[in-house]
Amino acid sequence: MIGDVRRLVAKIAEKFKRRFYGRTFHCPVCHVELAMVDADGNRLMVCPLCGVVLDVEEVYGHVVPVVLEVELYRPQPKMRIHPLVTHVPIGLFPFAVLGAGALILASVLGPWAPGLGPWLANAPLVADATLVLLALSVGLSVLTFASGLWDWRRRYRGRPYWQIRLKIVFSVLFLMLGGIAIALHASGAVFQASTGLVDVASPMAIGLAAVELGALLLGMVVIATLGHVGGTLVFGR
Amino acid sequence: MMDFSLSPEQLELVERAREFTKEWIAPKALEYDRSGEFPLEICREAFKQGFMNPHVPVEYGGTPQTVLDHCLVLEEMCTGCSGISTAIDANGLSQYPVILAGTDDQKRRFLAPMTEELRFSAYAVTEPEAGSDVSRVKTNATKVGSDYVLNGVKWWITNGSVASWYFVLARCEDKPTAFIVPADTPGVIRGPKEINLGQHASNTVRVTLEDVKVAAKNRLGEEGDGFSIAMKTFDHTRPGVASGANGITKAALNIALSYAKRRRTFDKKLISNQGISFKLAEMMTRLDAARYLTYKAAWLFDRGQNNAREAAEAKWFAADVAMSAAIECAQVLGGYGFTTEMPAEKLIRDAKIYQIYEGATEIQKMIIVGKLMRMKEVF
Repeated sequence: MIGDVRRLVAKIAEKFKRRFYGRTFHCPVCHVELAMVDADGNRLMVCPLCGVVLDVEEVYGHVVPVVLEVELYRPQPKMRIHPLVTHVPIGLFPFAVLGAGALILASVLGPWAPGLGPWLANAPLVADATLVLLALSVGLSVLTFASGLWDWRRRYRGRPYWQIRLKIVFSVLFLMLGGIAIALHASGAVFQASTGLVDVASPMAIGLAAVELGALLLGMVVIATLGHVGGTLVFGR
Repeated sequence: MMDFSLSPEQLELVERAREFTKEWIAPKALEYDRSGEFPLEICREAFKQGFMNPHVPVEYGGTPQTVLDHCLVLEEMCTGCSGISTAIDANGLSQYPVILAGTDDQKRRFLAPMTEELRFSAYAVTEPEAGSDVSRVKTNATKVGSDYVLNGVKWWITNGSVASWYFVLARCEDKPTAFIVPADTPGVIRGPKEINLGQHASNTVRVTLEDVKVAAKNRLGEEGDGFSIAMKTFDHTRPGVASGANGITKAALNIALSYAKRRRTFDKKLISNQGISFKLAEMMTRLDAARYLTYKAAWLFDRGQNNAREAAEAKWFAADVAMSAAIECAQVLGGYGFTTEMPAEKLIRDAKIYQIYEGATEIQKMIIVGKLMRMKEVF
């Protein structure tokens, strides 16, 4: 079952990569996945992970990378802000999703399970905590994004890499999804300030709750992908 | 008069096959090699582009190619990946006995549907105790009324998991007899995919026959004709196998050449070292020699002449050339030739089977010697 899910995710990722980045290959030294389109006009590229200079040629459909050089002295990330701060949104966001999910579930089950009463009394507190977690994770992701761009300009010298392009697009997407979730949550249109729960009698509130949950779940996929791709840039395959 | 040139139609066919290889086969070769999945998506595209079932006659819906045309296509496809190409091409091995010995009704029932939609068939002759020595097959066919009941185990059956019917060689009252067995017949049990050294995209399985009832109308030829049908098939298919091996040699040469022209050692290009450049020269020469043997065997068949010796020569020689070319390619690439990120190691794994399947190298030599023994003088 888990194997099937992994295979499915791998297939989707493969189609996505092929669609947006064309032909990819693996660095013969550190095994990180690179895209042919990222090579310059002379077919040269520098591996972002191990720093080897590759001459990449496609022969009869087979990619043949040749190692010509190695970039030994590479600028290090300044103050290492990105690697440190990146873990805060990744760590907090899942708990915000969990909080919002629990509140929505409690809103639906509340009327049918009177035993939940004592727990539901704490719902406003959970709603507030969820908002704080959301604000912290999305707010700090702005710093993560900015420091990531800085590192890219400095350590990777602004060279084109499919991983960086994907990270930029997904970071913007994450900020948008997080912004939507924060706006909905903070406005009180989804979770009532008095009860901390969704007003299940209001179709508008239910619809907005679905939008917030959708944004959060999509945000989870986006942030997980960001973390995974970032991880491959540091640790390889 | 001798003419080594290809016709404009053949050149166009080669170009189409090359484009298909570069777009569909080579870019996915590593992925399928690692996953071991059957390349259904690529087979679907090959079917759409007309690269499957090239033997089926026109009257049964096919657009048949000559054996030489087929060899040209296979060489291109195997340059991309011989495992995927085997999956695409394996139908031919089971279709040819039907073309050779089938009745009109059998051809309509089993060949025609394969030209209408993507379907597979498999050649189920080899058994655990009968590989090169096909005459040892033990699968038993017992006549019950007008039908037959088959029992036995077939082993290393290419496309065995996906086939809609099998060409089966069995013994009927000790006479080798050929049958067409639909895969959905009760008692046909397909085993799991074998994890082989190379050609991981090719599906190889065990097929067990347990009290499989086969109607007499599905017997190919007469009782006792099975061995000659099975063997005559190889005269047709061996040039194709040799072409597959030539495809591996061509891939090895291309990769080694590309690498040697760009990699630097001792302050000069790798290709400037005589030890390396001579390897490339030898690979090219051997590839040409293997091609000429292959094309000759195919050409003889297309002219309706006996090609058993030439097909055996081509299959043996091309397989050995492919194996040595793959090893030399890895040698040119040095340490990188030994890593799984570069295509050389896959070529070595894939090349080995050409020295074994459709008659091992030693069997080919036996065929050649058998022909020599009937000659007084060799011209």
